[in-house]
Amino acid sequence: MSGSIMIQTDNLTKKFGAAASVDRVALQVREGEIYGFLGPNGAGKTTTLKMLLGLIKPTEGTIRIFGKRLEEHRAYILQRTGSLIESPSYYGHLTGLENMRIMQRLKNAPDRNIDEALHIVRLEQHKHKKVDQYSLGMKQRLGIAMALLSFPKLLILDEPTNGLDPAGIGEIRELIKSLPARYGMTVMLSSHLLSEIEQIADSAGIIHKGRLLFQGSLESLWQKSKTTIQLKTEDNDAAERLLLMKGYKPIQKGHRLQFEHLSDAETAEINRLLVSHHIPVTRIEERKKSLEEMFLALTGKGGSL
Amino acid sequence: MMRSISAEWLKMRRSKMTLILAALPVVSVLIGSANYYLNQEALQNDWLSLWTQVSLFYGEFFLPILIAICCAYACRLEHMNQNWKMIMAAPISAAHLYLAKLLITGMMILFAQAMFLGLYWLAGTLLFLPSPFPVKTAGWVMRGWAASLSIIALQLELSLRFRSFAVPIGINLCAVFIGLGMYINKLGLFFPFSLLTIGMSVLSQDKLAAMENLLFWLMSIAFVVIFASISICRLKNNDIVQA
Repeated sequence: MSGSIMIQTDNLTKKFGAAASVDRVALQVREGEIYGFLGPNGAGKTTTLKMLLGLIKPTEGTIRIFGKRLEEHRAYILQRTGSLIESPSYYGHLTGLENMRIMQRLKNAPDRNIDEALHIVRLEQHKHKKVDQYSLGMKQRLGIAMALLSFPKLLILDEPTNGLDPAGIGEIRELIKSLPARYGMTVMLSSHLLSEIEQIADSAGIIHKGRLLFQGSLESLWQKSKTTIQLKTEDNDAAERLLLMKGYKPIQKGHRLQFEHLSDAETAEINRLLVSHHIPVTRIEERKKSLEEMFLALTGKGGSL
Repeated sequence: MMRSISAEWLKMRRSKMTLILAALPVVSVLIGSANYYLNQEALQNDWLSLWTQVSLFYGEFFLPILIAICCAYACRLEHMNQNWKMIMAAPISAAHLYLAKLLITGMMILFAQAMFLGLYWLAGTLLFLPSPFPVKTAGWVMRGWAASLSIIALQLELSLRFRSFAVPIGINLCAVFIGLGMYINKLGLFFPFSLLTIGMSVLSQDKLAAMENLLFWLMSIAFVVIFASISICRLKNNDIVQA
């Protein structure tokens, strides 16, 4: 999965007035991977993606896609890039098929791609219907079909499952996951949902208040998660006193005692100590920090995303 | 470039623009012909007198408004549903996109001009005008179309700038009256709307002097180049931040 670099930004900054909406972001998206761009609403995700498409001009910094600078090779890059930014765009007075035709002309894609792309998002049945009559989910599917139309090397999707029902979300997620293997695409998708990125992406970038806080494989993100051991006994106070005396550092958490960085041998020793002092141990649990907790620790943001 | 034109053409399908394009020349010719019919004693110059009546309503009022509506519609398509971001993320240049819009709108107005000329002939025939049909009116219609392109370029710029459908049309109405003022003050060649009055020989059917003729064509080209450059720069450099 570790191909050459597909998207590289350096010092990418966008200021609206004095405030930096995107602040010195250095993205690295590798060929053939699914890159999840994660951040709460208003973190600068859409602004960053729009800059990658040339829709917004950076205040500072450079963008290289396919190894070429966007400023100089806009048409070359856009010819090989499909995108869906924010809510889908469409001409409501025209049918789904006519909308696809417009995109096909603009992208200079072969005719047969229209049916194939509509088939992939399961819209063939509705292609003769005016898009104004489509449901939100169907419009979103049409947007994805338009992005797929030229079967581009690079696909940029901004919150692609917005507006879809749970079944649709699952379906689109599976579709996106299959794109690198089926069509050799590289996918960059943004989301404010950790669960989504967790299920789809190979790599992730976490952006908050315009700053890129983390970038790397999902595995390396997981490795950052510290394992804790939680213990439940019939007398936690007595257990705490005993273990403190023996040099351990338990923390009382609810009805449990929690330990950071405990080896297997230490865990066994603690259990033996407690049993030998007649403090029955009712539970020993290993607990990993969830991605959610890591995210909150990274962004320092409590509450919902 | 052909791809952009073809895409623009597709967008115009199923719109009600054809109806409006046909309706405004019909209304102009109907009002003008009625006026001619009711004032035949004063209007002695048959075909040319009929021209003064029909072209007054059409060239002075309905055609500029029709241009404003067409341009507002061509841009409204993109202002709606955040289509700018889709169209600007396509591998076509801002210049091609703009020129395609200019061309398609130009073709729509050419259709209206052809309709107008045909209706003028029909009205004259139905009024049993004795002299033969003046072929030079076809030249006036074409010259009017050339002047229309200046107004199209101006209106496209306004419609690109304002998301509202009505604002550019409101400005257009004001400009129509400014154009009349400019014409009366012999400055007609220096404003697109009065250029149209001259081009279509609305208020004077006299042949243009050689210098006037040259200036007419130079100004028509200049207005298109100036407004098109402004619009293309705007498309190229402005951020697409619409929500």
